[in-house]
Amino acid sequence: MESKVVNSGIAALDEVLKGLRLGDNVVWQVDNLKDYSYFVEPFADQAIRDSGNCVYLRFAPHPPIIGPRRGLMIKGVDPRHGFDFFSAEVHRAIEEWADKKFFLLDNLSALVEEWATDELLANFFQISCPFLRELDTVAYFALTRGQHAHSAVARIRDTTQVLIDVYRIKGRMYIHPLKVWDRYSPQMFLPHVVTEKSWQPVFQSGEAAEVSATARKKPLGAMESSIAPWDSVYNRLIQYREADKDSRQMVPEILALKEEFSRMLIGNHPGFNRLADSYFTLEDLYSIRDRMIGSGRIGGKAAGMLLARRILLEEDGEIDFLQVLEDHDSFYIGSDVFFTFLVHNDLFRLRLKLSRNSQLSREEFEEVEQSFLAGRFSTEITEQFRNMLDYFGQAPIIVRSSSLLEDSFGNSFAGKYRSEFCANQGSPDERLEVFLHAVKLVYASTLSPDALSYRRRRGLGESDEQMAILVQRVSGIPYRHYFFPSLAGVAFSRNLYAWTNRIDSNKGVIRLVFGLGTRAVNRVGGDYPRMIAASHPQLRPEVGMEIAKYSQHEIDLLDLETNRFVTLPTAEVISKDEYPNIHLFVSIMKDGYLHDPYGMIHPDSGEELVLTFNKLISGTNFVKITGNILERLDRAYGHPVDTEFTASVDSGGRVRVNLLQCRPLWLPGLSGPLEIPENIPNERTLFKATRVISGGVVSQIQHIIYIDPRSYAEITSMELKRSVGRVVGRLNGHPRLVAGKLLMMGPGRWGSGNIDLGVNVSYADIDNTAVLVEIAREDSGHVPEVSYGTHFFQDLVEGQIIYLPVYPDDPETMFNSSFFEGSANILTDLLPESGEFENVVYVFDVPKVTEGAYARVVADPQSHSAICYLG
Amino acid sequence: MKKELNPFSIAQKQLDDAAEKLGLDRSTHELLRWPMQELKVTIPVKMDDGSTKIFHAFRIQYNTARGPAKGGIRWHPDETVDTVRALAAWMTWKTSVVDIPLGGGKGGIICNPKELSETEKERLARAYMRAIARSLGVAKDVPAPDVYTTPQIMAWMMDEYETIMGEKHPGVITGKPLPLGGSQGRGDATARGGIYVTQEAATAYGIDLKGQTMAIQGFGNAGQHAARLGEKILGLKLVAASDSKGGICNPNGMDVEALIEHKLKSGRVNGFPGAEEISNEQVLELEVAVLFPAALENVITGENAPRLRCKILCELANGPTTPEADDILYDKGVIVLPDFLANAGGVTVSYLEQVQNTYNLYWEIEEIHWRLKEKMSRAFKSVYEMSQNKKINMRQAAYLVSVARVAEACKLRGWV
Repeated sequence: MESKVVNSGIAALDEVLKGLRLGDNVVWQVDNLKDYSYFVEPFADQAIRDSGNCVYLRFAPHPPIIGPRRGLMIKGVDPRHGFDFFSAEVHRAIEEWADKKFFLLDNLSALVEEWATDELLANFFQISCPFLRELDTVAYFALTRGQHAHSAVARIRDTTQVLIDVYRIKGRMYIHPLKVWDRYSPQMFLPHVVTEKSWQPVFQSGEAAEVSATARKKPLGAMESSIAPWDSVYNRLIQYREADKDSRQMVPEILALKEEFSRMLIGNHPGFNRLADSYFTLEDLYSIRDRMIGSGRIGGKAAGMLLARRILLEEDGEIDFLQVLEDHDSFYIGSDVFFTFLVHNDLFRLRLKLSRNSQLSREEFEEVEQSFLAGRFSTEITEQFRNMLDYFGQAPIIVRSSSLLEDSFGNSFAGKYRSEFCANQGSPDERLEVFLHAVKLVYASTLSPDALSYRRRRGLGESDEQMAILVQRVSGIPYRHYFFPSLAGVAFSRNLYAWTNRIDSNKGVIRLVFGLGTRAVNRVGGDYPRMIAASHPQLRPEVGMEIAKYSQHEIDLLDLETNRFVTLPTAEVISKDEYPNIHLFVSIMKDGYLHDPYGMIHPDSGEELVLTFNKLISGTNFVKITGNILERLDRAYGHPVDTEFTASVDSGGRVRVNLLQCRPLWLPGLSGPLEIPENIPNERTLFKATRVISGGVVSQIQHIIYIDPRSYAEITSMELKRSVGRVVGRLNGHPRLVAGKLLMMGPGRWGSGNIDLGVNVSYADIDNTAVLVEIAREDSGHVPEVSYGTHFFQDLVEGQIIYLPVYPDDPETMFNSSFFEGSANILTDLLPESGEFENVVYVFDVPKVTEGAYARVVADPQSHSAICYLG
Repeated sequence: MKKELNPFSIAQKQLDDAAEKLGLDRSTHELLRWPMQELKVTIPVKMDDGSTKIFHAFRIQYNTARGPAKGGIRWHPDETVDTVRALAAWMTWKTSVVDIPLGGGKGGIICNPKELSETEKERLARAYMRAIARSLGVAKDVPAPDVYTTPQIMAWMMDEYETIMGEKHPGVITGKPLPLGGSQGRGDATARGGIYVTQEAATAYGIDLKGQTMAIQGFGNAGQHAARLGEKILGLKLVAASDSKGGICNPNGMDVEALIEHKLKSGRVNGFPGAEEISNEQVLELEVAVLFPAALENVITGENAPRLRCKILCELANGPTTPEADDILYDKGVIVLPDFLANAGGVTVSYLEQVQNTYNLYWEIEEIHWRLKEKMSRAFKSVYEMSQNKKINMRQAAYLVSVARVAEACKLRGWV
């Protein structure tokens, strides 16, 4: 069915184009704004006459394209918040005015000033244009002629219905329709001279030749260069690089360009800018660009990693980091590639929709993930991927999310977005396929329920989130048919996990594993990394046989035979053969006790090996180096930091470190010592806790969700146990509980992968609680260090959720069993279908069971104590 | 906070009961109520950061009428002199019930090992030994590992003692690493002792254990050894086991080695193929020939004792049964092998280590096993006879046997 013809307000134009139609997007390619206004004003007036109104989306710094008039509705949108935010806002405005038929937009070229690349401009057009068409509108766009890359203009041309070139020759205005969708006349695609009376096609050969030749001087679409700052700044800097090889004197103009280039590559955060400007040289920025695929930014994770390395190499100190730091050998997939992928594969609007509504179930997310996996990359980008993979050969790589918001000040996004290992074995085509799969999974993870929940809670739901990717060579050595680093882990410049006052919390802490570092950042049930206090590396919170129990029992590694990431029991990996320098990493279980090897370990000794890292700690300078790294970075950042690393030790005992990540560390309860109220009578005290590591005050707690540890332990069905986590998730989102403040208590380790050790929840299941309490009955005496440093713990910290371990059996703590066992349970009032959990999951409406009192929690990490009481 | 009973008062109360039943004279009773020698020392130790920390420590020789004192050294932040006194008393009864020629002792250092580096631990161990060396010796008092002390710490202490004395004295301390004179057979000594006692009990009560069932509550080190040896020596079939994360049950029996491997790999018994998951408490109440509580104190109480359906209860753990439960089980006819008899295999092998050190002659494992069997069998028989003669439960009988032996030694020495 043919769309309804509408009037453009200029009869001659209607004649040339055979009329505009509802659903048309009209792009005017002009030399100046005046020429655009020439067509806009009659169009707007006609629209107002026909329908009573016309919507003007105003976003550019240039003067208005039309003056105010009755019926003209102006909506301002600010592109300075980035492509993502801007696109969402424009969509929202269009949705809001879905009943309106006529839209005007400012000159799109202005967007490039803000977003730095033509690619994002084309992306914006490509997602907005179909939406307007679906709503049967007519929208006018403008583009400055000859200032954009060929590829971007080609995409705009492909997407729009009408594309018209406008130019002036010898004072006369010409229009030249380049595309008019679904309409044809023998003269339609000729240049037409614009006169007051009628617009005649330029037919006469002499005039036609002159017009064409003039137009070809700046033929739209033939331009390879662009005004986009990304390209122009880079090109200018390259010229400087070539011209001033000998003189490295930074003139103010170049300094300014360097800073601008740094913002375009890295991002724009005042805290980070200061560091980037001080530490990154122009050569550093060039080398980032040289290893970049596509355009846009490299994201927070990549930037943090590069900056930290530069800080260490730059600053003089006791340790020469040139000798210590391994090369990182990374590539960066620019953030624009992400948007282009979304736009090309019709995923942008899906993402927009889901970002607004974050209640996505896991099943729904799986479908979303499938849509991402079905997506394709452009040939150009795929070719660059292929080149990069050729560079790496068959060396294992890791594809790591590096979003713009990730790892910045205050938002670590720890574990929210995926990182995927590629063992990178097989033919080039197979390797490419696996790599593309990994990239798509990382892209899809921007919509995972956890990520959306995190963004919403941090007030980032609508902010610009550009997903760049950091592709790194995996550190390590091949061992049998496996590949993994000897050492990996996370390290923090402040140590809140101080189980004794001897430990200096300003000296940092290391969470160390053997093999890939995934075991250090995830909360794995029954498996424990070695926690090393930088101030007292030899102290550990376990003694005797506890050491073996609280050690790492499984190793994450890449299996080169199966081309997969696998987790294997420690004994399977290291007991049979001799791993290089294994004596530094293990103690030997012999005759029922642990001892450190006095020399190399005999390969067939048959004794159980326990990963303690004792001789690494006592016999090498690993801890000294790591402590020094933390100290330097903390000082340079002017803020505590959180790092990820791998490390190796050669046969001479020389330690080398590969710093994979560095980001500002959010610390709980840093506001100063809190006063724990004294003299609260026992009957008003719900519990007291010691060994507290996060702090703060939460008043007016109305609801408490309490998972009874004994009843939970008695559940023998795994399925039923898992269901407890789902019940908690549903309560977490229940409107009655969301309305007030909430405290959750349960046995063991929340968020552990092992449901026997604690309730099986993810961050999204508990994100509405203000306080999370772990009741540890069985492992009394053991500090719950396994949480600290994991992504789960980071979530709690950033979500400002106070995390308290309570040991009811510890004489120093207090636990008001009669309150928890004797108060009315409102579970089935809230979730009538959850009756079978009534004896496990308790929900207390605190004021109801206490005649009006609310619960209050005060937790002081400095004195390691906390109290929850009614008051 | 609940006021805890003083452990030494409890130990004295237990002695008082036995003394009354034995009709001990007043002076003997009074002598046995108190430690014979107490040494309290204050030890300065240089820490890694250059500071000096002062530690307080004890060594208590409770009674040496039957031989040199024997007992472990504990490193614990909450150590008190009364805890050490009580434990020294219990060591006296334990060495006596298995009839080894040793008295009872205990030592303790008030310290938190979690706050000490390896080098600081070594300095503390050596300083402690310097402070108490004159009271120790193979003919005076022989310490051993205990809470938070390890064979390595024993090795440091032995080395310090020998340095002070200027000659070799490996027997001054037991629980040493094998290369320094430790004994074979120490790893499974506690469980093995319990198995031998169970074997004797079955014979005494006419129970044929072969092909019958066992359940193990607490599948840790001792529990795993008990499962292995229960199958190998007694012919029992393991039908249930538990740990802190839950229990499993398979009435057809489970492959012990496979379960141990599963536990080592996964850190729990749950999830073992072919077994049904049950609670920790249910494991105690299964109908089995032998139940081995091998984990915590006070798991068998007045509440669940009526539901226990085992024939023999072999207490590998310390204090798994409350006094109230003891009476119920006795009335039900459950054969209770009390902890200080059932788990005395450890101290017996310690004694054998000391003997080997003294003779400078080291036995093969088989010899250790038969000597241990011999000691445990004799011990059981004495307790069993006492129980039968006096119509009292096995725990009371064990107390009577051990206290009587110590009293007799005191008398023979002319102390009372």
